[in-house]
Amino acid sequence: MAIIERPTPVLDIPALPAAPPAITPSRTFGALKRPVASTGWKSWLFTVDHKKIGLMYGATALFFFIVGGLEAVLIRLQLAAPEGKVLNADLYNQMFTMHATTMVFLFVMPMAAGFANYFIPLQIGARDVAFPRINAFGFWCFLGGGIVINLAWFLGGAADGGWFMYAPNSGPVFSPSNGIDFWALGLQIAGIASLTGAINLIVTVLNMRAPGMSLMKMPVFTWLVTVVQFLLLFAIPVITVALFLLTFQRSFGAQFFDVAAGADPLLWQHLFWIFGHPEVYVLILPSFGIVSEVLPVFSRKPLFGYPFVVFSGAAIGFVGWGVWAHHMFASGLGPVSVAVFSVATMAIAVPTGVKIINWTLTMWGGKLVFSTAMKFAVGLILLFTIGGLSGVTHSVAPSDTQQTDTYYIVAHFHYVLFGGSVFGLFAGFYYWWPKMFGKLLNERLGSLNFWFMVIGMNLTFGPMHILGLQGQPRRMYQWTEARAGEGFFNIAFWNLVASIGSLVLTLGILFFLINIVVTARSKVRAPLDPWNARSLEWMTSNPPKEHNFDSIPKVEHLDEFFHRKYEEDPVTHTMRGVATAEQVLAELERNADPHIHMPSPSYWPLVLAVGLPVIALGVIYSTMVAIVGGFIVLYAIYGWALEPATAVASDFDTPSTNGHAVSTTHG
Amino acid sequence: MKVRRLTSRYLGPRSLAASGSLLLLASCATNAPQDTWQPKGPNAKMIDDLQQPVFAVAGIIGIIVAACVGFAIWRYKDRGQPIPEQTHGKPALEVSLTVIPALILAVVGVFTFRAIFDLARTDDTQLVINVTGQQWWWEYDYPVQNEWGITQPIISSGQLVLPIGTKVLLRETSRDVIHSYWIPALNGKRDAVPGRVHTLRLQADAPGIYAGQCTEFCGLSHANMRMEAVALSDADFAKWVANQQAAYQAPAEGTLAKEGESVFLNQCVRCHQVSGLKRADGSLAIAAPDENVWSGAAPNLTKLMTRNTFAGAMFNLLRDACRDDVWRAESAAFGEKYLGGVDESCLNVNDLRAWLRNAPEVKPMYANPALLTDTNGKYRGMPNLGLSESDIDKLVAYLLTLK
Repeated sequence: MAIIERPTPVLDIPALPAAPPAITPSRTFGALKRPVASTGWKSWLFTVDHKKIGLMYGATALFFFIVGGLEAVLIRLQLAAPEGKVLNADLYNQMFTMHATTMVFLFVMPMAAGFANYFIPLQIGARDVAFPRINAFGFWCFLGGGIVINLAWFLGGAADGGWFMYAPNSGPVFSPSNGIDFWALGLQIAGIASLTGAINLIVTVLNMRAPGMSLMKMPVFTWLVTVVQFLLLFAIPVITVALFLLTFQRSFGAQFFDVAAGADPLLWQHLFWIFGHPEVYVLILPSFGIVSEVLPVFSRKPLFGYPFVVFSGAAIGFVGWGVWAHHMFASGLGPVSVAVFSVATMAIAVPTGVKIINWTLTMWGGKLVFSTAMKFAVGLILLFTIGGLSGVTHSVAPSDTQQTDTYYIVAHFHYVLFGGSVFGLFAGFYYWWPKMFGKLLNERLGSLNFWFMVIGMNLTFGPMHILGLQGQPRRMYQWTEARAGEGFFNIAFWNLVASIGSLVLTLGILFFLINIVVTARSKVRAPLDPWNARSLEWMTSNPPKEHNFDSIPKVEHLDEFFHRKYEEDPVTHTMRGVATAEQVLAELERNADPHIHMPSPSYWPLVLAVGLPVIALGVIYSTMVAIVGGFIVLYAIYGWALEPATAVASDFDTPSTNGHAVSTTHG
Repeated sequence: MKVRRLTSRYLGPRSLAASGSLLLLASCATNAPQDTWQPKGPNAKMIDDLQQPVFAVAGIIGIIVAACVGFAIWRYKDRGQPIPEQTHGKPALEVSLTVIPALILAVVGVFTFRAIFDLARTDDTQLVINVTGQQWWWEYDYPVQNEWGITQPIISSGQLVLPIGTKVLLRETSRDVIHSYWIPALNGKRDAVPGRVHTLRLQADAPGIYAGQCTEFCGLSHANMRMEAVALSDADFAKWVANQQAAYQAPAEGTLAKEGESVFLNQCVRCHQVSGLKRADGSLAIAAPDENVWSGAAPNLTKLMTRNTFAGAMFNLLRDACRDDVWRAESAAFGEKYLGGVDESCLNVNDLRAWLRNAPEVKPMYANPALLTDTNGKYRGMPNLGLSESDIDKLVAYLLTLK
């Protein structure tokens, strides 16, 4: 384990320099010397800095968001009119499969991972994560997995079995292209990112909190992301097994899902949804965490019922394992199973409802400032509520047998995932942008971004409730006039509305992209504490120094930063300012640690991660290529294992200048 | 028709007031073939009775939440008030706001439980129909049930025919991938899974045609895998049963249809069975779809022209005017019109000819020979048979005799 923070360089480190003399930081085993670049592209490629890795997660995820969004627009263009001709059946099936895969695995998950990487060490007062090289390895695995999945577009067609990839339709007979092979192997590689990331963040949160920060003084974002990491820790192995079975079925003639050989296709459904339902909470809880940070800041009030939010989050983390079969109410499980999962699904609505109540009561009696971040957070409350309530309607299993696999479900989970997850992530963009880049996103463009997204999202997904209740099934490449019906609820009209809505939504996203460019070109630096924030990540410069904090703050309160800035008036109980953010920071700088040790960059995470897609391509095309990939992996593991966890003294950061006030442009 | 209840989720809470005036319009949604809120039989009715209060309560809760958030936005907007007291919550309020939704859900749970078990009953069945899905059509197989006059198995496709007021039990399975059987007006959906048999209760109150669609993604033509359930009065059902079991009538010698029969014997009978059809040498023509099609089955075309659809109910056998005449017939007149079947004047000859000319062109199927290596050369769906126009003329004339 890398020791990433060491006030005094003594401890029991001498054991490591005693390793064979051939392996020193300047003469690493193998051909590779230890990278030293701290600027330029090499500083990104070989970085182990949690902030740079977080930004790379974010940038890559944003790219995939655009890809997945374009796929969605093509789907809506195809369905705008009856007998759509934009896509043929084959391409349409690839499109909806890849839209879901991209949005779930290559956008929402890694975007949340990006925020978690960047902000969890900052929120708990740490200088990096517990395993910085594994952190870098995780990012490269995600990128490699994303590339492998999408490579199929150019090599004979993408996966076409739906993101749920039900057997036996996912078998080689029913899907003869290589798309599903790329999909399964790419997800397998991306899964490594989630699994290693989960272990890394759990260890970080449990072991590396600032002195005084008990679990119940931890920011809610950190709390809920930690719950997510536990979900991933147990869910990813299940999908890993399922994907291995699928790969062996397709590439090596195994018969796990072959009915003629006695298999039961429901095995895949159980494996997929035992992963897939906790996955739903993996997608939503980080956004719940973000709005639980944003709402108190812009209400100037602590989160209402902090322990209730934390424990309901943990409760979701437990009950989330007992509801997977509600995706299978029509699969023919029998009435006993259906009844049990129906009631469990109703039960999980309670802790979810608790969060809505607490957010509303956080605003109650506050001093509400409607920045763009706050607008997105309030948008999440209202939109997620709609999605949550439609979710309750299909916890009623008999009712679900009418709704499942119709557009009503599509409406439901887009309100939950777009109105919930995506709105939460956008709240995070606007809230944390100045922290990450030292500049505020433009609020005028932010407002356009928000309103176009709200209107576009309701126009797109609102009508889908009607379409579904009118009986339009999902995953149809065409719908026919003959079944469209007449009158106000005819599906022809509402399909058109939904398609127009998707264009409005696209405009909203476009405003965000324009905002990024405008902000990047702007010369105006953000103030140190632009939002009057409450938690530790704001007790450092914008963007933070490589070592995050000059001295690790001692934590006495939940919302430590706020309580260093304000004191309660004993008579009126209102809060009065006692220190500015600059003063709080100057105090930390005065007590700066004399010697701060940061982990050194490394080649090995990248080399190891490059070997995995090579193996994947080998499994699909040629065993020899897979063996070459295997050697790359072995070589990287060997080099990594022999690379010292600590670099020589010359690699140590110079201590920060003591005692000087931090300028707001400190970068 | 009852006025539809419009909940907040339809148009978002803010537009709810505006949408009120649309309620009248809503009640005009007459022809909505797959509407899940218009039950036409007791099973669907049971689901509807359960879900309507849930929708209503969910809508009310949605409005309350939206109103509370809206009020907070308006009341506590920053107007220069001081930073408020840093209160951390009121446990009593929290607990009560947790318990109330839990109680509401507990009540819903009780009724849900009852409905789940009622809808799973199989012990009161009056008629059994075996339903088998394959890419991309449904086969209906009526096992021998003497009390219904079914003295030999009836095998059909395209339309499920059932008597009204009867507790029908579908026994579903699949020959290839997972499909799902769904007639929204009669019941919720149930997956047809290869290697398993799942049951689904259906019961229709009145004669008529009830539309449905395959709802489990099943590959290329999933969107084209439709179904229609035809409910007939007991007397009409008995007539239908009798006709389905009636002996094969070969076309008269020297007619175009007779020539069509020999085209059928040369080409179609490799996969498609017509019960009673004999070869020129007098032997029975037995189809062998298992040798040619991956699923091992092709639609049985016996009495084809008693059905209204073909190609997995993707196309109508009746031209539009005749089809509307049947679909919109009054309950009392419906049976007779339906049993009339398809005659030359009503035949949708364009779609039928296009299908015979090149089936994969009008319905996406994996009929590309390059993709057949994984299936040992077997087709998935109907291939292009390369029939000449005169062969198609003859075949159409022959198919019209299958009544």
